[in-house]
Amino acid sequence: MAHGLIDHDDPLLRDETGVALATLVSATGSTAKKLGAKMLVGRSGRLIGGVTIGGCVDAQVIEAADALIDRGERRLLSISLDDDEAWEMGLTCGGAVDVLLERITPANAADPITAAHRVVHAALDRGASAVIVTPIDGAAAALVVDETGVRYGTLGNSALDAAAATIVPDVAASGARVESLEASGVSQRFFFDRFAPPTTLVIIGAGQIAMSLTRLARELEMRTMVIDGRERYATRERFPDADDIRVGMPSEIVASLTPNKRVAVVLVAHDYKYELPVLRQLVREPVGYLGMLGSKKRGVAVRALLREEGFTDDDLARIHTPIGLDLGGKSPPEVALSILAEVVAIRSGKRV
Amino acid sequence: MSAFRAVVLEHFRHPRNRGSLVDPSGQAEGANPLCGDRIRVQIRNENDAIAEARFTADACALCIASASLLTEHVRGMRTSDAMAVDAAWLHESLGGEPPAGRRKCAVLPLDTLRRALADAAMAT
Repeated sequence: MAHGLIDHDDPLLRDETGVALATLVSATGSTAKKLGAKMLVGRSGRLIGGVTIGGCVDAQVIEAADALIDRGERRLLSISLDDDEAWEMGLTCGGAVDVLLERITPANAADPITAAHRVVHAALDRGASAVIVTPIDGAAAALVVDETGVRYGTLGNSALDAAAATIVPDVAASGARVESLEASGVSQRFFFDRFAPPTTLVIIGAGQIAMSLTRLARELEMRTMVIDGRERYATRERFPDADDIRVGMPSEIVASLTPNKRVAVVLVAHDYKYELPVLRQLVREPVGYLGMLGSKKRGVAVRALLREEGFTDDDLARIHTPIGLDLGGKSPPEVALSILAEVVAIRSGKRV
Repeated sequence: MSAFRAVVLEHFRHPRNRGSLVDPSGQAEGANPLCGDRIRVQIRNENDAIAEARFTADACALCIASASLLTEHVRGMRTSDAMAVDAAWLHESLGGEPPAGRRKCAVLPLDTLRRALADAAMAT
């Protein structure tokens, strides 16, 4: 269930006549998962895929799954996270969550939720984000609106679809949430679920740190592209986990990418012959992260050279160097971990 | 600072003819597979002479200095004269012979220039 989407090719799912899809649609207090977090449960409480919402929520979803699959109903499960004894000991954060439970039939192309997830898969493959709108109450329905405003499916009537579409851009920017919409004088609640393409980690320099980066990034559901000018370094044998391997002039390859906030570029070649041309190319582009391996001293020298060429202090402040959060590790996997920790922190809006 | 070093740094910081030609008469790419230097040289011929020579490179300072010097030198030359430019001229222009381990860096642009000239000759 990568990126919170149903994996239609999952053999565990393909044979199921019905499964319960649980989606976290609202939360008060402190929860470990974001709105939109999902889990899939088959008959007899069988977990499908590795994704769960967590804690006591999972237990209640599993308990409710069989009845839901049999009857095909949809329901909102409201769960209090308060546990008086645990609260006394400071062991719980408290609060409450609402989980939308609905039966889906993965093999049925007409199932609105299944169809919506297929549409979102296609959008993500194109590099576009999308929002699925589903009713909290009432019959199953789904409207998908991609980032270009194109709509698929329906909530049941065109007035609702149009009203939902006006909210989508804000959801796309700020995150999943419940909204009430009115049509024909009736107010109804809908969950707006946001799906964004994965972060693409562009790695310049196909050395040992890059090898660790591709392995760890896969766990984080990032796409990876490895770039080097040396054919014998940037090979499939060395990078079995990389999504894309390019050999050529790194500055030209990065120039051919579409820079956006979902692109993180890490320079780990430790060689100015790649660093300077790539930084010239990207330092004014809207990439989400731009980091360079090297000491503070090298960082100062590289910035000084680029400043001579007319780049401003604001431009140069975008370069994270020394790269990564200071976790204290020195081995290639530890350095890779610190780099990815910084990428995740920046992506999550943390100041580092 | 040695003359060699001064020349290399000056051309690295202020490379001449860096960039691409829109409609080159010939071009070639070269790489040093171990160190990762990569360069493309393009030339535009006009009236049997080299009107313009430019290069793009993700390469070390010595390679870029060498490309900068070469593209300046061959402008206005006939192809046969440009083909005759050799490593000895390059070393003299650089202010000295590069250290043994770096000679490939200096010679890569020369080799690539020659192949770009051959490419242009093939096209005519």
